[in-house]
Amino acid sequence: MSAPLRETPSQTAGPFLHIGMMPDGAAMRPLHRAAPADGVLLGGGLFDAEGAPVADALIEMMQEGGVWARCATDGAGAWSLRAARPGARPFVDLWIVARGINLGLHTRLYFPDADRSADNAMARIPVERRETLVASKGADGAYRLDIRLGGPHETVFFDA
Amino acid sequence: MTPRDRSRHPPALTPGYFSSVHRAPREALVPLDPEEADLSGPVFGTADIGSLDHDLIRNAARPGEMAIGPRILVHGRVLDEAGRGVPGALLEIWQANAGGRYRHARDGYLAPLDPNFAGCGRVLTDGEGAYRFDTVMPGAYPFPNGPNAWRPAHVHFSVFGWAFPQRLVTQMYFEGDPMIRHCPIVATLPDAGAVEALTARYDPANDRPMDARAWRFDIVLRGRRATPVEP
Ligand SMILES: [Fe+2]
Repeated sequence: MSAPLRETPSQTAGPFLHIGMMPDGAAMRPLHRAAPADGVLLGGGLFDAEGAPVADALIEMMQEGGVWARCATDGAGAWSLRAARPGARPFVDLWIVARGINLGLHTRLYFPDADRSADNAMARIPVERRETLVASKGADGAYRLDIRLGGPHETVFFDA
Repeated sequence: MTPRDRSRHPPALTPGYFSSVHRAPREALVPLDPEEADLSGPVFGTADIGSLDHDLIRNAARPGEMAIGPRILVHGRVLDEAGRGVPGALLEIWQANAGGRYRHARDGYLAPLDPNFAGCGRVLTDGEGAYRFDTVMPGAYPFPNGPNAWRPAHVHFSVFGWAFPQRLVTQMYFEGDPMIRHCPIVATLPDAGAVEALTARYDPANDRPMDARAWRFDIVLRGRRATPVEP
């Protein structure tokens, strides 16, 4: 039996990740999954430790039921994704890569109107940091969450 | 899913690579039980792959034309940590052209664009986990990180396995490139073994004679947690 192999090391996605992961369609069509018909909009800002917008990141979302989507942040660091309505799980998983991020960061958006009381991950987070993962719901029904890579309100990131 | 061996990867904060300084979380990661981590992932198939997605020499070329640069093919296998091939893994790749210039609005490097090269590709591994794509050798390029920093020739990879926690983004370098040991981004890697793992080998046995040189690059994704075997 051969010795176990070690995982391939990560490297930053760099500032030009759009070429391969968000192609413009001229040479290669974008990788796409249809958004859930009766879905909800998730969005917010992505900021660095100094509060500056992160304008060159890619965010992917994975939700129960195989719902997957990705987006690039815009010039103001804003991100926006369509998810299914919350089901059994009160969250969606988010994965972030960008220039300056050496290994993809895993976080979550929790729906504020879903029951989180039985959520094991939430229970493991210090109480004062839990709010960094809980979105707010706007009058338009969209969920909003700002993600902070550092600074006083640094978002919680997971080791899955 | 096997736990991720973080000693295999660069730490978040690597001050020699300036961009990491304001983008590295300082708080400890919160562990998730593998049991509660969602193991499902998006499933991709041949419908997601265009007929020229594997061929960067031609996928952006005008009719009858081709990208400029040394013709190469990059191939290998996607494996799990037990050495089993991962079928149906999706690889997305991107790279600079032969002069070291990206087709991207934010790349202002002096080297010219190649009108026949976009620098993007996508392939799916076969039943044994094998993949291959055709491209040109990317050029080295400078980047802002102190008075004089250059990237070695490299190809960016994004990999989807069968589970979302396997998701990986990395870069492939080329054996023998003297730029590797000067690069601040390569230097974020924890040790020589990690650099080695990202360095493709020249593989003359798989050259296409009178056409293209072959480079071999295997990728290892996290695997299933082994179930104890009864003696
Ligand atoms: Fe690059």
